[in-house]
Amino acid sequence: MKGVLLKDLYIARSNILVTVVSLVVLGFGLSFLLETSALLVLAPVASTTAVFISITSDAASRWNKNVITMPVSRGQIIGEKFVFYILLAVLGLITALLPCLALGFFGADITLYSLCLYGAIGISATLLAGGISLPCACLFDPEKSQIVFMMSFMASTGMIAGIVLLTNLFIPVKENILLAFHIVLAISAVWFFVSCRVAVKIYQKRDIT
Amino acid sequence: MTNALTVSGLTKTYQDFVLDQVSFSVPSGSIVGLIGENGAGKSTTIHAALGLIQKEAGQVSVLGREGLDGETREEIGVVFDGSNYPEILSPRKLNRVMKNIYRSWDETAYFRLLKQFSLPPEKRIKQFSKGMKMKLAISVALSHHSRLLILDEATSGLDPVIRDDILDMLLDFVQEEDHSILVSSHITSDLEKIADYIVFIHEGKVVFSRPKDELVEQYGIIKCGAAQFDALDKTDMIVYRKMDCEWQVLVADREKMQKKYPKAMVVPATIDEIMLLYVKGEK
Repeated sequence: MKGVLLKDLYIARSNILVTVVSLVVLGFGLSFLLETSALLVLAPVASTTAVFISITSDAASRWNKNVITMPVSRGQIIGEKFVFYILLAVLGLITALLPCLALGFFGADITLYSLCLYGAIGISATLLAGGISLPCACLFDPEKSQIVFMMSFMASTGMIAGIVLLTNLFIPVKENILLAFHIVLAISAVWFFVSCRVAVKIYQKRDIT
Repeated sequence: MTNALTVSGLTKTYQDFVLDQVSFSVPSGSIVGLIGENGAGKSTTIHAALGLIQKEAGQVSVLGREGLDGETREEIGVVFDGSNYPEILSPRKLNRVMKNIYRSWDETAYFRLLKQFSLPPEKRIKQFSKGMKMKLAISVALSHHSRLLILDEATSGLDPVIRDDILDMLLDFVQEEDHSILVSSHITSDLEKIADYIVFIHEGKVVFSRPKDELVEQYGIIKCGAAQFDALDKTDMIVYRKMDCEWQVLVADREKMQKKYPKAMVVPATIDEIMLLYVKGEK
């Protein structure tokens, strides 16, 4: 899997640079309009676009047909995309923390509470969206995948709202906002993991030509 | 003699095509050419043998092992039509990727091959010509101590000079007695140069699987008129074809036929002609 991951990092490298610079600039921009911590919601989602660039590149070069003949299992081929996605989301989160910490150092109103809350929302949205779009990107053609990719972020917002409303039936969310979003985060992580398992299972029986 | 690859009873059904009980083998130390017209089932056979597509029936044994586990994949090199490597990479970056995929990756051999093929290590693959991409794919296939090479239409679309370079490389590879090659191509002249055995697939079925020398040295074509054609013993004919002003009859032993029909013109048959007669002729 290491080799395949390295290949994707090479493909994503130029795009990662653009994303990192955009996030830092956006972070400082947001500090004048909203809370800087809100950047933590956008950053993981924005960073993961590189995964779809790598999937499109794989489809264009028919890499998957080639890599299946190498000592890499089908499970590893799909699993790697999910690992890469998480890696980029974490990288995005860390990058977004930089302007937050810098502005906090210069006296901006950034609390650990807001960092945890927005971080949880950002990662939840990313995991929920990835759980929808990644299996589709690996199993469908690039055109369909791009549509699913765009729709998945909207869907993830709806899913978060749904989970929060459900949580509210058991725990009053208004008094426990952070706890509620940590529950959302946990459910999102399970969703992402299950999605990965399903994608691997489907891909095992798929004809690659 | 052991076989590097044995395919038996391979079957795969599509809506408009059936790969029907395909069986053949690649003996160790030999080059087997898989021939057939476009859409005959060459690539489907290779895809099924490599596990890219799910087969409905049949057995595939590679390097003495049933199926294709990670260990076996370490020892096979596969080259498809096109480079199939991300074009953003350079050969040097591809080396780092492959080093982390193959346990037996031989960096020295890889860079030696790049040099031999005059491939710039730092240039992105997207800037390579089709011939360069093919040479790169062959360099990768030969840089992890492969014992079996599988090439699917790897030389199609390349100019004769590059094709000749690649054929030389394949002949070099098979000098080791445990090295074997399965190469599918519809450029039969290439296979006439290098193959030891020819497997001919037509409409998803193996028509014949024979040593190339037997085909080239023994097979022949009787070229005759209608009267002479009528006088031929039908059991001597493999297939025949009516041309504009002559009949062409494929026979398995041209010397025997020449003796049997001294007035007939019996000429050697090229693999191309044999293939054409099978595809377009009648039985």
